Amino acid sequence: MLEFVLRRILHSAVSIVGVSIVIFTISRMSGDPLLLLLPMDAPSEVIAAKRIQLGLDRPYVIQYFTFAKNALLGDFGFSYRWNVPALQLVLERLPATIELACAAMVFSLSVAIPFGVFSAVHRGSWFDRFGKVFAMLGQAMPNFWIGLIAIMVFAVGLKWLPAFGRGTLAHLVLPAIALGWYPVAAMTRIIRSGMLDVLDAEYIRMGRAVGAPEWILIWKYAFRNAAIPLVTVLGVYFAASLGGAFVVETVFAWPGLGRTVVEAVFSRDFPVVQAGVLVIAFLFVVTNMIVDISYGLIDPRIRHDR
Amino acid sequence: MRIANKLKIAGTALAVLLPFSTSALAQEPAIGELTIAFAIEATTMDPTKYAAGADMYFIGQMFEQLMAPGPDLKTRNWLAESWKIGKEDGHSVLDIHIRRGVKFHNGDPLTSADFEFSYNRLKNPEISSWSHLQKSVDRFEIIDDHNFKLHFSKPDASYIAGFLQLWAVPKKYFNKVGEDGFAQNPVGTGPWKFVSRKIKDELKLEAFDGYWNKEHRPGVKNLTIKIIPDDVTRVAAFRTGEVDWIDAVPPAMIADVKALPGVETASTGSGNNLFITFPEHLPKSPFADERVRKAVAHAVDVDAIVKSVLFGQGKRYAEIGEGAVGYDPELKPYKYDPEKARKLLAEAGYPNGLDTPCYNLTTPREPNMKEMGEAMFAYMSAVGIRCRVQGLEYSAWLQLGKRGNDSKLDGPTSWMWGHGVPGDPGIPWGGHLHTYVPGEGWGSYSYASNPEIDAMIEESKSIMDPEKRAAKLREIARIKHEHAYGGVTTYQPLITFAWNKKKVSYKPWPGSYGRSLQELGLKK
Amino acid sequence: MTADIYPKNAHRISAMRSHIRRIFFRGSTKPPILSLAFLAVIIVTAIGSQAISPYDPNALNLANNFQPPFWDEAGSFHHPLGTDNLGRDILSRIMAGTRVTVVVTFYAIIFSGGIGALLGMVAGYFGGWTDTIIMRLVDIQLSIPALALALVLAAVLGSGLSTVIIVIVVTYWSWYARIIRGEILSIKGRDYIALAKVAGCGPVIIFWRHLLPNILNILLVLASLQIGQVIIFEASLSFLGLGIQMPDVSWGLMLSDARGYMGNAWWAITMPGIAIMLTCLSANIMGDWLRDIFDPKRNQL
Repeated sequence: MLEFVLRRILHSAVSIVGVSIVIFTISRMSGDPLLLLLPMDAPSEVIAAKRIQLGLDRPYVIQYFTFAKNALLGDFGFSYRWNVPALQLVLERLPATIELACAAMVFSLSVAIPFGVFSAVHRGSWFDRFGKVFAMLGQAMPNFWIGLIAIMVFAVGLKWLPAFGRGTLAHLVLPAIALGWYPVAAMTRIIRSGMLDVLDAEYIRMGRAVGAPEWILIWKYAFRNAAIPLVTVLGVYFAASLGGAFVVETVFAWPGLGRTVVEAVFSRDFPVVQAGVLVIAFLFVVTNMIVDISYGLIDPRIRHDR
Repeated sequence: MRIANKLKIAGTALAVLLPFSTSALAQEPAIGELTIAFAIEATTMDPTKYAAGADMYFIGQMFEQLMAPGPDLKTRNWLAESWKIGKEDGHSVLDIHIRRGVKFHNGDPLTSADFEFSYNRLKNPEISSWSHLQKSVDRFEIIDDHNFKLHFSKPDASYIAGFLQLWAVPKKYFNKVGEDGFAQNPVGTGPWKFVSRKIKDELKLEAFDGYWNKEHRPGVKNLTIKIIPDDVTRVAAFRTGEVDWIDAVPPAMIADVKALPGVETASTGSGNNLFITFPEHLPKSPFADERVRKAVAHAVDVDAIVKSVLFGQGKRYAEIGEGAVGYDPELKPYKYDPEKARKLLAEAGYPNGLDTPCYNLTTPREPNMKEMGEAMFAYMSAVGIRCRVQGLEYSAWLQLGKRGNDSKLDGPTSWMWGHGVPGDPGIPWGGHLHTYVPGEGWGSYSYASNPEIDAMIEESKSIMDPEKRAAKLREIARIKHEHAYGGVTTYQPLITFAWNKKKVSYKPWPGSYGRSLQELGLKK
Repeated sequence: MTADIYPKNAHRISAMRSHIRRIFFRGSTKPPILSLAFLAVIIVTAIGSQAISPYDPNALNLANNFQPPFWDEAGSFHHPLGTDNLGRDILSRIMAGTRVTVVVTFYAIIFSGGIGALLGMVAGYFGGWTDTIIMRLVDIQLSIPALALALVLAAVLGSGLSTVIIVIVVTYWSWYARIIRGEILSIKGRDYIALAKVAGCGPVIIFWRHLLPNILNILLVLASLQIGQVIIFEASLSFLGLGIQMPDVSWGLMLSDARGYMGNAWWAITMPGIAIMLTCLSANIMGDWLRDIFDPKRNQL
């Protein structure tokens, strides 16, 4: 068992190092940040001084090892553009993104659970079909498009909700829907098929036979069991929605991590790109690791399979 | 983009002092609060470290220079009470007297030492991106607390055109808090005092009670500047009343915004000058032939583009914009004349037209630039200059245009260079009209090469007499226009501000690239 | 179908036949006629767009911009879905966009599916170090937020059609590899594979004759479910400015272009969005249907 856990941790560490090499390398291939940082008529001595200041004059491998060494100590360097520590810039924005991802998750669940349960209970009904199409719509529309249309209709047109920014609960509604609609279909499917399995189970039939109220059977007994497979994938969905927030944040001017990384890519602000990507990757890897290890604890067969 | 803080002086080398009436009308103290929105924000709040125009959006609220442009676009003395150009030992000398009674936000009085400190930082290439602008200053001499002299090794017209270049930076405070401390808690002499900042989110300012200019000052006490880069979102926030003043109303929404009840708008030039640049330096390129360049000039209907693509948010210009140094009302933009364009092409040896790569900037550094470029290239294709358009985002575009051994620009390219507000073409021309000279700072993005023009540009830089310099710039403009050197000029973008006139009283000042909040207050 | 004449392929072919039978004759999962019909229309449009498009999709007509669609009072049948900010015909652009969508989707799926499936098979079959290396690469790939990697990569390669395809392949190969590997692990132990090994079949033959036929159904489901994801990925990339570039037209690019003119022309941002929605919805419904047929137990693809 311990060996499994250790191996899993080692795998995660390898992933993180791999991510850092990939992102460090390709971001450096994407262009020279100095042209963006300096005025167009900056003379060569200014460019040279800046290049040395940013450490961009040194060989690539040295740059990487310096970066990796410092990153281990939590120092991701200074943002070229904002001149503040890159990690600080990223971590300051992380709560907003986590808040958005949580809100999106709440939206997904509050749609997927009733839909999944009712679809299973009334299998084949019009509600089952309609619910499925509704859930699938979330996967069929780009989240930024949902966001833009929602802004036009609910913020500008009907004036029900604020169009941008962060603060109150009302600010969360539109971006959460735009981001949270996507996984609804998958979640609904998991709950629905879980419910279908459980509803046929012996104990439910027994319950029916002794005359227990249907809603208690469904929610108290069946749903509980049907929800287990969903719970195990929630972490992964959550981590994935952190990455999915990239465009939604741009549309809603949400002061989060995704928007920061997108801007950093365009301004070739390598330290911020690296810090942002590594923080998201770290969350993703750790979530997966915890899920896997807890799987392994529950079900010993998995230990050998992975 | 080259920011050019330029100045237009009518008359003598002695700056015209436009005194403010020192009327005893005591201004009421600033009260209340206001939330406004900018599309982009500054990357630094240290005026000795600024690199791009947007940096001025914040710096310009908190810091001041010796001279500044007023609402009439004329430059006036600001922190300088007066100044004059003289000669000592055959070298030019600027003799500057500072306004008395000016205080920094922390209460320290402004003295010559603060400007010396700022000068020392600005000339250091490890600190400042603009050290080249201090290159011709040999020595900074403090006479006393309110008088100092700048000794020039060679005459430098751009120094005067750039509001005397120096910023008021509090030496004592800076040395106390250090570089980082200053960056986090900047202190200047400007109308607005720094309160707090969240990068990519907001800047909070407070009207400075001890501000020296009692007449032109903010009327609201607490100001929050929200950063909302997305156009649709920014306008939506304005409509819903979440913010009461916005900059950069997107052209497509101006009509809508103007039609809103209780909304007032004002437009001003963005300071940027747009043009189509060509690989004039490649002897084999068709665009080395001035007839082909002129064919382009006559092929594009800039007026139609301004009307339909820019919703009127652009102003045509020929080489130098109206109101800028060297502006020549007799110089007219090329007329839209596709027939003439075809004829010129045929004369140049392309009766069946030609195929060429064309490069378009897709990052909207100016409103609707991408669409504008697409339209421009479509017009060119219509007369037979068949463009294979390639879109480039900003960084790739800079990389393409930057001169060096690996210059790849080989076709017409949508380009721009800021002339500043009020405009001055001197420095931009040094960058895109003067022949590329590696290491000398000339022609960093230039594909033109003409020794005669080079000499004239260099000469204009050394004429410190504004009148004579303007005449020289006019002369260059005529030659440039006649031969379509260094690109074909198209238009200058306009920016529009909108505010809720029931709540906000606002008078546009041209400083900070139009974002100056010198006179922003609440309606009584 | 030259393979037909070789009896040794018999089991593969009969497996295919039974798939086909299952697809069309299994009672509980009827084929989604509407979705399949819509996808057929999309493909026909993509092939014939140049011939049937009413206008040149890139032809500017500045004087004629912001024409509303035909059902609007101010609209007309000259431009059934209206025109955009530069006076380009939206219907023609959607048709041209169909072509790009189909091309991108086709190549992206072929390459990401091909590369991913191959690596997944190799990893699953050989195990050991090969497996470890491939699966670590998969882990690394999956840990990087897809859009961030795509953006940086697009910045390196320069935006355009081929970049979009490359970026999508780089993003999605790992998805195939992971699932196919799991699948191979479960069939590797079966008797006929062991028998084939004993009979002296090399890995190539085992891959081709025994493994591939067994994962084809999964691949088909994965590929059909990927269609919608590819379209949305392309749209996001184009929306952020690093995707398809003029003179190519894509639905995502149309959304990006129309974004600033939502107040002037709601149709310009709505129509391409609806095209995306209908196409993705049809593709997903088709994918769902295929999944129900081939693999009713699997829910997490």
